[in-house]
Amino acid sequence: MVQGSRKSRTLRRAHRRTPGGKTVLCFKRRNPNSAKCSRCGAKLSGIPRKIPLKFKNIPKTKRNPARPYGGNLCSKCTRQVLIEKARSEEE
Amino acid sequence: MKIGQLCIKISGRDAGKKCVVLTGVEKNNLVLVDGETRRRKCNIAHLEPLSKVLPFKENASHKEVVDLFKKELKITIKEKKSKPKKERPKRTRKQKVKPEPKKPKKEKKAKQKTASAEIKKKPKESVEKAPKPKK
Repeated sequence: MVQGSRKSRTLRRAHRRTPGGKTVLCFKRRNPNSAKCSRCGAKLSGIPRKIPLKFKNIPKTKRNPARPYGGNLCSKCTRQVLIEKARSEEE
Repeated sequence: MKIGQLCIKISGRDAGKKCVVLTGVEKNNLVLVDGETRRRKCNIAHLEPLSKVLPFKENASHKEVVDLFKKELKITIKEKKSKPKKERPKRTRKQKVKPEPKKPKKEKKAKQKTASAEIKKKPKESVEKAPKPKK
């Protein structure tokens, strides 16, 4: 009998060839959705779509943009936030 | 943009840090900036000018910028200390030691043959048995 959890489509199906030559069905975790800007909701570039297990193994420089708010805000929103901050400081 | 204009960098990895303009606008809208940021050329569009203008000369050195930032703005700029470069140990190839030329086997064999022949030629020394002492 097939395991109950294997019948649902929560896991991704991948065909893999074994060293013996057989093709076997593997069940893998799906990649998460792309990261989004917390201000405008636009897709963030520069952040790979990987499950946490694999995200951990990526070098630190490739996980997030190096600028402040990198990984949370898009580049346009960071500019606006920083400008607002600078102008409010002067006042 | 005036020389000595205090700005905040908006983009890049130095975003949100304060800097001072040290040159007039060059072609492609570039100016030299220094301060909390790295000393480098920067596009005007990536700067947000503040109201303050600091007394700087054109192309002022990094040391002057650090001192004035400490005096006027009370901002201490940490300088990165680069480690002295160490010389890497150079890899040297192992030199192959040439093996000594072997003596030809034939000579050996020939020598052996001669030695064996000499042994054969030699008559066996007859060892005279000493008579047993009678009791």
